[in-house]
Amino acid sequence: MSRTISIEPVTRIEGHARISLHLDDDGAVTDARFHLTQFRGFEKFCEGRPYREMPALTARTCGICPVSHLLASNKACDHLLAISIPPTAEKLRRIMNLAQFLQSHALSFFHLSSPDLLFGWDSDPATRNIFGVMRNYPELARDGIRLRQIGQTIIETLGGKKIHPTWVVPGGVNEALTIEKRDALLALLPEALDIARRTYTFFKTLVPKFKDEANHFGTVPTLFLSLVTPQGNLEHYDGLLRIKDAQGRIVEDMVPLEDYERLIGEAVEDFSYMKFPYYKPQGYPQGIYRVGPLARLNNAQACGTPYADVALAEFHMLQESGPITSSFHYHYARLVESIYAIEMMERHLKDPSILDARVRARARSNRNVGIGISEAPRGTLIHHYRIDDDGLINWVNLIIATGHNNLAMNQAILQVAEAYVDGNNLQEGMLNRVEAVIRCFDPCLSCASHAFGQMPLHIELKNAQGTVIDTLIRSSQG
Amino acid sequence: MKTLIIGYGSPIRGDDAIGPLVADHFARCELPPGVSALSRHILTAELVADLAAQERVIFVDAAIDAAPGEVRCQRLTPNGDTLSSMAHFLNPQELLAWCAALYGRVPESFLISAGGASFDYANYQLSPLAQQAFTQMVAQVQQLFIADGDGLNETAF
Repeated sequence: MSRTISIEPVTRIEGHARISLHLDDDGAVTDARFHLTQFRGFEKFCEGRPYREMPALTARTCGICPVSHLLASNKACDHLLAISIPPTAEKLRRIMNLAQFLQSHALSFFHLSSPDLLFGWDSDPATRNIFGVMRNYPELARDGIRLRQIGQTIIETLGGKKIHPTWVVPGGVNEALTIEKRDALLALLPEALDIARRTYTFFKTLVPKFKDEANHFGTVPTLFLSLVTPQGNLEHYDGLLRIKDAQGRIVEDMVPLEDYERLIGEAVEDFSYMKFPYYKPQGYPQGIYRVGPLARLNNAQACGTPYADVALAEFHMLQESGPITSSFHYHYARLVESIYAIEMMERHLKDPSILDARVRARARSNRNVGIGISEAPRGTLIHHYRIDDDGLINWVNLIIATGHNNLAMNQAILQVAEAYVDGNNLQEGMLNRVEAVIRCFDPCLSCASHAFGQMPLHIELKNAQGTVIDTLIRSSQG
Repeated sequence: MKTLIIGYGSPIRGDDAIGPLVADHFARCELPPGVSALSRHILTAELVADLAAQERVIFVDAAIDAAPGEVRCQRLTPNGDTLSSMAHFLNPQELLAWCAALYGRVPESFLISAGGASFDYANYQLSPLAQQAFTQMVAQVQQLFIADGDGLNETAF
């Protein structure tokens, strides 16, 4: 008889989700689904608000990456104003975005994923958590804390508030950088670079231990979407859109941000509140693509900074040829990007023009459609607004980074479940791998409530009549 | 004594703003040497490093398990068993447990909390009961850093 395994909630990710695994009569996995189980509705309740409120409103989408929404929203507002912001304002926004990458990637690697990477998927869940990391790898845990602290300090120094800064405004930023602040920020970066580089070096020693996972964690070919610079290099704030296929062929290149709708369609399914974006020319559901650190590194010809370029070259050696297809290597890509973020922040801060007082252009709305796209830590983030002649929002579309990966995440959990899950003999380590492949993508689901650590896990095997025939319980004590 | 006051809560959820408001109040005051104040939306992991540098930490928060307007002062100890289910925020005792595990020391810690009457959407706007509690909380915090923790009217955690 067919059966379903439900993993709810999925742990150590940002947000509440459920995974269901469908089994055939022999206990083999036949299908897998990733369910986003909560609904928020920002796109509807923003209607009727003045467009200038959008950055503050949409920053509330997320307690983890409000800076990303702040930037994409302000870019959409810049577009509504039909202006170019002052170059110094752009550099300052870039620094804030890079600091956001640093703290977000640190949380993902050190706190959410490191227990699996350090102790192994089958280790005792009572120790496979952040306290286990602190006890056994205290230096690494302290490094994680420090990197987050540095990232957050940079955001706070620029923005004035850590969680929801209001320093970025339509037209630029509302305050220039002082010499004192510039110097204080620069003083943080050598330590940050030391930490990022030694963590990267350490992680390289772990990668060979995970060959099996690397071969089964979301390796099905997909497209890769990201921003790139006009030269085809790594880009996080602006630039142009590029799509590469799994063979490394560039499918779309140098696409202006305003043309994103030509590339991306959106579908919905009845089992999840998350949208299913797809590459329009290939249709749904064939047009699967991935975004985020893996896609950005696959699409970039170079990072443009010394240490990150060395790391990028090593990243490409993870596979014999072509783009890196295993989603397991999102972890690797995150560490490369952390190095890049620190190097780029230093470059911007050492640019004398960073102290320029002209940081804001002022205008009223000069068009009725605004599109703002930037890279968030988890991938390409799209804010698209339409306003009336009074500047009131009458339509909003947000395509969140995690949403782009929805099809790929569903595909990845099916692949992992097929490889590891035996429906006749459930083991915690099997299901941990199913969760772990989701953690590779570092999804940020609700942007408000976030599952972590010792969330209770109750898995039931039911027959077609709904009778429970097997149960696996993980309590809140692990 | 090196002391950090951390007020935390959402500034847009009514009485939940009482923690940040108390911290903001002290941040505007002339504080004794070694005393500083931070307001935060949530308690995040990187605060552990700040805690490790203190001799005393005073957390200030709203409470849902107390009568509206009731102010409590509790001494806190590290407790890793309270491991929160949330990835991006921690509770004070969990934060102290991180501090102990990572830095081998824990500051003397207190939680001053006040029962909230309303947690509806309202930007830095307290209910009348919470406004009364605000004054008491400020006095409790002052008592802590002036009296070095002596003479507190503690209630059980």
